[in-house]
Amino acid sequence: MLDWAFVSRYAPFFVTGAEMTLFISVFGIALAILTGLVCAAIETARIPVLRQIVRVYIEVSRNTPLLVQLYFLYFGLPKLGFVWSAEMCAIIGLGFLGGSYMSEAMRAGLEAVPQIQRENAYMLGLSSRQTMLHVVIPQAISTSIPGVVANVIFLIKESSVVSAIALADVMYMAKDLIGMYYTTYEALFLLIVTYLIILLPISIIGTWLERRFDYAKR
Amino acid sequence: MSEPMLTVDNLLKHYAGAERNVFDGISFDVPKGKVLVIIGPSGSGKSTLLRCVAGLEPIQGGTIALNGQVIDRGEPGNEKSGRAKRSSQLRTKIGMVFQSYDLFPNRTVLGNITMAPVMVQKRPKPDVEREAMELLKRVGLADRAQAKPHELSGGQRQRVAICRALIEHPELMLMDEVTAALDPEMVHEVLDVVLELADAGQTMLIVTHEMQFARAIADKIIMIDSGGIVETSDDPEAFFAHPTTQRAQEFLRTFEFSRHRRTEKDGAGAQTA
Repeated sequence: MLDWAFVSRYAPFFVTGAEMTLFISVFGIALAILTGLVCAAIETARIPVLRQIVRVYIEVSRNTPLLVQLYFLYFGLPKLGFVWSAEMCAIIGLGFLGGSYMSEAMRAGLEAVPQIQRENAYMLGLSSRQTMLHVVIPQAISTSIPGVVANVIFLIKESSVVSAIALADVMYMAKDLIGMYYTTYEALFLLIVTYLIILLPISIIGTWLERRFDYAKR
Repeated sequence: MSEPMLTVDNLLKHYAGAERNVFDGISFDVPKGKVLVIIGPSGSGKSTLLRCVAGLEPIQGGTIALNGQVIDRGEPGNEKSGRAKRSSQLRTKIGMVFQSYDLFPNRTVLGNITMAPVMVQKRPKPDVEREAMELLKRVGLADRAQAKPHELSGGQRQRVAICRALIEHPELMLMDEVTAALDPEMVHEVLDVVLELADAGQTMLIVTHEMQFARAIADKIIMIDSGGIVETSDDPEAFFAHPTTQRAQEFLRTFEFSRHRRTEKDGAGAQTA
């Protein structure tokens, strides 16, 4: 059985940890979405040179573990003279990893808009800017939302890695409690519950968003 | 006949890497207020011809003129250059309705129709909305103005697409097999609208597989096949009754169904090409 007295005593630790997890995630994901938008735009517009740079970035970002990226930022960069706080490294790390995933989800959305929609806009006389803004992007958003929501949830879960660079997120709290008191079950129970409390609402909002914007698929 | 609205002169169309030209110098014109129907077997390039006139396909030779003004001049080797660089204003003068009913899914029926006149022609929104409602009434869809495209049937969507093109008052309307993707019972409701347009004096260039409809609406007919015009006629009745060329005779025969033919040919070739 779980030691409920222990659980209630240390639950506040997880609230503090959740604050750190959310802080890192919100800024990291915002950075990821921004990076994704820029990369998807460059790829869709087929801008030479920049496009090749984006491809290299996406391959490096997707094919290296977040832990390794964080070690590089936190332990590697100071050797080159860049010293960043652990929070900064965590946010940039999440943004760097998430940017490629977001970019691919958004690019898929843009490419899924049927050619005939652009042709209709052309025949009606819309400028390329109007076509992008009023025809292509609204439909691309509709198609991208499931992917983007999945990435948001993935990145929040992935943020558990930041405990490795001594950031006191929920994962760090759990490891700390296990290390100090050997209360493995209680600590893991609190950890799972905290993640569920953070992620379930996001998942529900995501499903609602998908339904709200699913016009492109009908 | 009156002066030509559209003049296609010696049009040459070639796809990159293809051995043969799609068109080897096609010439025809559409007089103002008249309806030209293009017929021909599948793969003869009817739709491509329409898309060239629309500016959706680059042409490699010849000219396309609207009201005597050249709007597109062929350039050899521009196969991959994409859509023609036409001004927004010029593009509003040519309306097009496509085969697949593809309204903008994120907008209501009314939103689909009012978008371009407000954004491109900068007309006041209340006026545009009033006209849009009139058009919707004309095609029997006034009560669906606030519906989203996915709530409509194919025939209804196609009628909305016609309104969307019409509201810009295009000088020329292009119709690319507008009923080909529809269930048979919806074909009539759409073609009736097109027939009404013709009566109202709208200049149109129509590609269709519906021979009865072609016969009913055409002022002028051309049949194309293997890169060129097989037969032109200013008298559709005569054309359908007694086509002059053997190729046209053969083609029109593919639309006939008879028990005699079935036993003779064992059913083969009874489809509409």
